[in-house]
Amino acid sequence: MKNIGTPLAAVAIALCASAAPSFAGKGGSAQLIQQAIASHSQDAIIAEVERTEGLICSECIASVTSLLSSDNYKLREVAGWWYAKRPVLAQQMLVQMKADLVSGDAVHARNAADFIGSIRQQNALPALRAAYARTDLTVDARTAIVRSVGLLGNPGGNSTLAQAMRDGDAGIRALAVTSWRDMRGQTTAAPAEALLADSDANVRAQAATVVGAYRDANARAALQQLVTDPSYQVRHNAQWAIGRIDHQ
Amino acid sequence: MYPRAPAPNLAPPGAGAPNDPEPKSAPYNDFSLAYGLYLPAAMMNMKSIAIGAALLTTLGVGCSGEDNSGPLGNIDSIVILQRPARNDTGDIFQYTSYVAGARLVKLSPPTAAGTVTVLCCDQAGPDFANIDISGYDISFDASEIVFSGKLSDNDNYGLFRLTLADGTVKQLSTDPGRDYVMPVYLPGNKIFFTTNSVVSNTTTDPNPLQHRDEYERGTTSQMGTINIDGSGEALGPRNLSHRALPSLASDGRIIFTNWDHLGPENAGHLMFMQSDMTDLREAFGKEGSGVSNSTLKAREIAPGRFIAIATDRDRTLQAGALIDVRLGMTSTDSDGNLRADTAMSEAHATSVVLTPDVPLDRTPSADTIGRYYDAFPLDAKESPQLLVSWADGPVESSTLDAAGVNANFGIYEYDSVTGERHPIFDDPNMWDIFARPLVARDAPPVTNSQIDQTLGASQAEIGAMNVYDSTLHTFTPGEVFGVRVMEGFSSEEGFPEMFGTTMFEGHAGLGVARVAADGSWLAKVPANVPLHLQTVDVYGMSLFNEPVWFSARPGETRVCGGCHEDRAATTVIQPGNTDAAQVGPTDAMSMVPRATRMTTVADTTDANLIKTDGSLDAAYLPAGIEKIVGVSWGSADPTTGGTGSVQQVFNDHCVSCHGADNRAGVAPYTITNPLTMESVTWTFRLDGAPIPAALQALNTSPGMTPQSWSASYYSVAGPDMEAVERNNLVISGNFKVYMNPEDAAHSILVQTVNPTVLFPAPCDASSGASCQRAFTTTPHQQESTVTALGGYTELTPTEFYKLILAADMGVNYYARENNPGSTAY
Repeated sequence: MKNIGTPLAAVAIALCASAAPSFAGKGGSAQLIQQAIASHSQDAIIAEVERTEGLICSECIASVTSLLSSDNYKLREVAGWWYAKRPVLAQQMLVQMKADLVSGDAVHARNAADFIGSIRQQNALPALRAAYARTDLTVDARTAIVRSVGLLGNPGGNSTLAQAMRDGDAGIRALAVTSWRDMRGQTTAAPAEALLADSDANVRAQAATVVGAYRDANARAALQQLVTDPSYQVRHNAQWAIGRIDHQ
Repeated sequence: MYPRAPAPNLAPPGAGAPNDPEPKSAPYNDFSLAYGLYLPAAMMNMKSIAIGAALLTTLGVGCSGEDNSGPLGNIDSIVILQRPARNDTGDIFQYTSYVAGARLVKLSPPTAAGTVTVLCCDQAGPDFANIDISGYDISFDASEIVFSGKLSDNDNYGLFRLTLADGTVKQLSTDPGRDYVMPVYLPGNKIFFTTNSVVSNTTTDPNPLQHRDEYERGTTSQMGTINIDGSGEALGPRNLSHRALPSLASDGRIIFTNWDHLGPENAGHLMFMQSDMTDLREAFGKEGSGVSNSTLKAREIAPGRFIAIATDRDRTLQAGALIDVRLGMTSTDSDGNLRADTAMSEAHATSVVLTPDVPLDRTPSADTIGRYYDAFPLDAKESPQLLVSWADGPVESSTLDAAGVNANFGIYEYDSVTGERHPIFDDPNMWDIFARPLVARDAPPVTNSQIDQTLGASQAEIGAMNVYDSTLHTFTPGEVFGVRVMEGFSSEEGFPEMFGTTMFEGHAGLGVARVAADGSWLAKVPANVPLHLQTVDVYGMSLFNEPVWFSARPGETRVCGGCHEDRAATTVIQPGNTDAAQVGPTDAMSMVPRATRMTTVADTTDANLIKTDGSLDAAYLPAGIEKIVGVSWGSADPTTGGTGSVQQVFNDHCVSCHGADNRAGVAPYTITNPLTMESVTWTFRLDGAPIPAALQALNTSPGMTPQSWSASYYSVAGPDMEAVERNNLVISGNFKVYMNPEDAAHSILVQTVNPTVLFPAPCDASSGASCQRAFTTTPHQQESTVTALGGYTELTPTEFYKLILAADMGVNYYARENNPGSTAY
């Protein structure tokens, strides 16, 4: 066991005084959020932001807003959720976020996209579409846009996902094809078929999953090619997909 | 718990099925393990367990590597899951955490001097080099292990079978785009698991999305089974939140933790289901039986008796105190083994906290106290010996992160008589968890419920023999007209992150089943859908609200004795059939596709859906009532105002006096922050405008920001009172909350308008009829102060019922009818 007694004891003493009773969804405060942020604990920050779900808390706003620009997506996500619980505040923040999508730098665009996804702001979908069309955004920003489109789940995002399946970054292509599966009202996996021949193994694996989920018989031959793919993940997913298609 | 059993069968593959095809009842009387004086295990070969002087003192350890007299004395080896230490699993339902480098090991003998052998997955090749493993189970004959593994960060958790004789690993063919975790062997060569894969139905829900938990936002994990060869995957009925951490009981049922989230209810309770995922039953945690917010990782000690972890929902790394849960009356056999399977009932359940110093909440645990990750019973004495995973110090995520360390779970034998922990194994870089003896055991019986094939693949049937038989509420004879069946859904359908300010999930009213003269009722419902019940009176108002979601599998018939009746009492069935069975079940939209289980756009603002001409619908209710499914408050964009089902009533009857100009002269109330002296004043109004600019301006001093949607919604739902209390805000003036979630009958607004009778035949006071009213007070429409202002036309039965439903379905702003996600953008 690591010799962690000293630092743990010091921190424990500091935090014991603020220990709260066993509530889920209750018992939060600005002070607890600030303490959690000071601990640099993702888990604790998320828990304490969640606990202020319904709290009228002016002191919380600065702390939570700072999380919207965190480099950690999970912290940006929980901060957005907190805003979603406060529609008036969220709408005010949305004005800035939409502007950042259009003209902000890559980091601001990334944060804006994640904010929109976190609050599930459906009518911001056109802004996300427009932002993905920008040519000056980083992989991080484009990833956030595609992630946000997937979280909204609105069929109006299909065009962006189809476009993102041709993105130069393999991670974005994989995210796009994965998101495609769970768009509301989705009935086809056709755009995923081309990715079965992608140069990236993870993209091929995710594409195989999606065409299998939709029992896309058009993809049967391409899947058969993947049964001998060098990647275990691709082979496994392709075999699963073939099983789905052959046993409709 | 394990009975004495022969050594593991390590026969090569093909030598026999790993699971008993003809399950036998578990021999719980066979607790004849030798329990001589236990000599603590040797420390000399342990990996630098710097537990600290205090713990060593507590242990009083001696030195012996030859112990064979304790509960583990006749066990050749134990299996341990080693996961790289981490600090991102505070939430008890977190199941996707991934850190490469997990392994399954065997410790032989199970002492500190034992030899460690890697079982998986070094031998499986480079594809498994970065695996993480989240859970496992040992087959009944101990010849193989099923585990949930994730091969890379790009992958999802899948199910793998490890053959112990030759080390081969085979992945089952589960959906690669979904996670499958926490596998448990079932009798009959099946595996039980939890998954975020979603059950679909070609008729009513061909391409559903899995529910998201409204609070922690994760895709919920549900239940499923699969044959051990990977065929025959079946997914169980869905909860609106998570179901997690299952284990198998000796009666063949699965016990698991059910996250109950319905409005203020926000806790993890133990429940049972049959191994075919039918017949869900409460076990422990509600009705005052619980000792903590969440109870998890239950594992049977003896029939009716379970060891479990009691803890908070978050920040505790899914670890907490050890509790001994007893579901019924206890009895001790001649060997001194204690069981608790007589008159099992959640209402009768008790528990014993075995580790009283361990916090039951998320308070950082103290040095030498720590927290327990899991426990496996080694005997069934009143104070059992346990194989536990324990970590010292403050096992609480922020404390650990602030110190830059992780909890270090190691394996110990815990003596609940003395409270001593005897160290067995600890790898300081790993979480050593889920230790279990590698021994064969008898399979319990296969359990299932009767399936009614006539219900087909989409429907289930629910009901009760007598709603008046209840442990939770005393009904006045004859007062229950029917049982309202409501469907639950969450933001996966396109909603924002909440449905209103009241924390309730989305609701759709599927129908009201009439209660027959003998108190019975039946309804056909869509299968696999979270449902919620209310008994209602002749005004359509809830008399009692069942505070949890439940669901049923296709073809399942869930007919209870009563309305949460005493489960330990004998249900007396009178000769012959129930009255409801003779009439037949009410069809509560059982075959209606999910997407159309809603009020049509045209009907949303129709004030006369319910017919008053005596005509009846198929359920023998007033014709037209079936058209009212969801109750939207306003438009899809609450910041722009607009009209929904509820706002229509206000617009047509109320705003002439209760508009922005406050002709009614209702006195305002003021909320003041005594520290900053900021204040906001609000006057009751029922118009559908977005909140006034004056209130929005308060966002510049946002401590007073009301979580408003529209003026009428904020007026009726009110601010969050916890927020007011915790901020020490002071409310002065004429403050009222006008609608209580799930409780129309005690809502000021409903009492004020005073609904007319609805069932069985609606009375329409708007046409001048003299009607029976719900309350003895003068209806608002007849009050002199109202008529002095010009009065209003009385509400129609449709309008009364919409207000009642708005309250009884959670006082939500959103319903499917105003779902922003339904619009194309």
